[in-house]
Amino acid sequence: MSHRVFVCRCEDVTTHEIEDALDRGLSTVEEIKRYTGLGTGPCQGKECMCTLVGLLVSRGLADADAVQPFTARPPAEAVTFGALAAVPESPPEKGGAS
Amino acid sequence: MASGILLRRGDPPWTLDYDGRSIPCAPGENVAEALLAAGELGTTRSLKFRRHRGPYCLSGDCGTCLARVDGEPNVRACLTPVHDGQKVVSQNRLVGRGPDPSALADKFFAKGMDHHHLMVRPRALNEIMKEVARNLAGLGTLPDRVDGRGATFRHEAPDVVVIGRGQAGRAASQEIRRRGLRCIALERMPGGAKHDDDFDAGVFGIYPDEGLICAAAVEPRATDRIFTLRPRHLVVATGARDPMILIDGNDTPGVVSARGLVAAMSRQHFRLPDDVVVIGPDDPGARIARGLNARHLRPQDVERIEGSDAVDHVRLTDGTRIDASLVVLAPRPGPASELARQAGAPVRWNGAGFEVQREHPGGRVPSPGPWTLWAAGEVAGVPTGRSAHDGQVVAQALCHREGAES
Repeated sequence: MSHRVFVCRCEDVTTHEIEDALDRGLSTVEEIKRYTGLGTGPCQGKECMCTLVGLLVSRGLADADAVQPFTARPPAEAVTFGALAAVPESPPEKGGAS
Repeated sequence: MASGILLRRGDPPWTLDYDGRSIPCAPGENVAEALLAAGELGTTRSLKFRRHRGPYCLSGDCGTCLARVDGEPNVRACLTPVHDGQKVVSQNRLVGRGPDPSALADKFFAKGMDHHHLMVRPRALNEIMKEVARNLAGLGTLPDRVDGRGATFRHEAPDVVVIGRGQAGRAASQEIRRRGLRCIALERMPGGAKHDDDFDAGVFGIYPDEGLICAAAVEPRATDRIFTLRPRHLVVATGARDPMILIDGNDTPGVVSARGLVAAMSRQHFRLPDDVVVIGPDDPGARIARGLNARHLRPQDVERIEGSDAVDHVRLTDGTRIDASLVVLAPRPGPASELARQAGAPVRWNGAGFEVQREHPGGRVPSPGPWTLWAAGEVAGVPTGRSAHDGQVVAQALCHREGAES
């Protein structure tokens, strides 16, 4: 196996590729996500984002008091189209099953 | 095949079929646990470098235990209960078993792969590359059949919704119910429901503008269930998780997250092999290593984790070789704040992750939704040992406010 240190296993982003992004002057969470694909796989950043932020903060590239994560959007968990299709267009106001 | 890294007491009564092999499994286990117990550590290959990957987080967060289960692709093995005769097929492997020519990518692109510019020009080469990428890098293929079972839908408008039934969430929901409010407590890891209003379902979306929380339970064999919830109060108790530790070979099958492993062991009473290594800072690494009766190593002392389809040994910076069949990564946990953030909660960096900011300890969280928003336990940066107490404090504050309003 080649020697690699993975930051994001979903998208196979290594520290080598993060260094490459930093060399190109990209230094924010958002920029590095867009350039490397980090955080865009099945885990949606749950495993890698904090590791990246820790790296940026330790290098002085991000301010620990101001740094923010990338946006968390639904779906946070896997859901099937079949399940989504079972929701009526306007959910009832009161409790009950259908 | 490697030896099993989770050991059982006694022989399991069931078997599942994994790529044509018979794998023992026991009621209450999930598919990932059964595979690890059988020594099937590498269950897929990675996207670009085509390296072996397998179950890592053991708690539904990462994406490397995705498998085809009973004809349904992209199922998280660690969230799927086993059953006798279950059919499990590995995904994203060019050939089921044996040498996979695509694995040469790891050697060929030893330095790294600039996929932005790789074979983009000339166009003819780009066409070939497109075909290769589409066939190798994709996730599972289509399901065996159209699922005509549909899904059941249920809407509820309880007083309180608690997300998470870990220490903080359990303590909060018990206290809220004790004070006479209706409280629905959701948990995505199946099993462990003890109350009629304990739902085994994962919250996938929080929509503060609509005042809705959406949760789903997806299991290949059962009919999907979907829930919409419209509570007056929302408590987020989603805990924390282990961020990746930056060590060479940290993706090798047989490397698992400490939190996921500890939770699996407490659910299923597995034992561990003798050659277990825990890598992490003194806090929490040393404590976790003691609990698992394993050897503790600090990340700065580790040169790399060695192995191809399974962990073989750990090499230290001083050249020492430590044989290991299981490597446990124990970093400082980062709060699991995605759902709180969807609900509009402010977060701040705490050195390991983004924790939810409360007005004061045990206090509420500023929120744009039609509910009052609360966060309890590790998601708010509270240490594990104080999570249950924090859940109770938050529940009391919530109920006090409810009493003042009504």
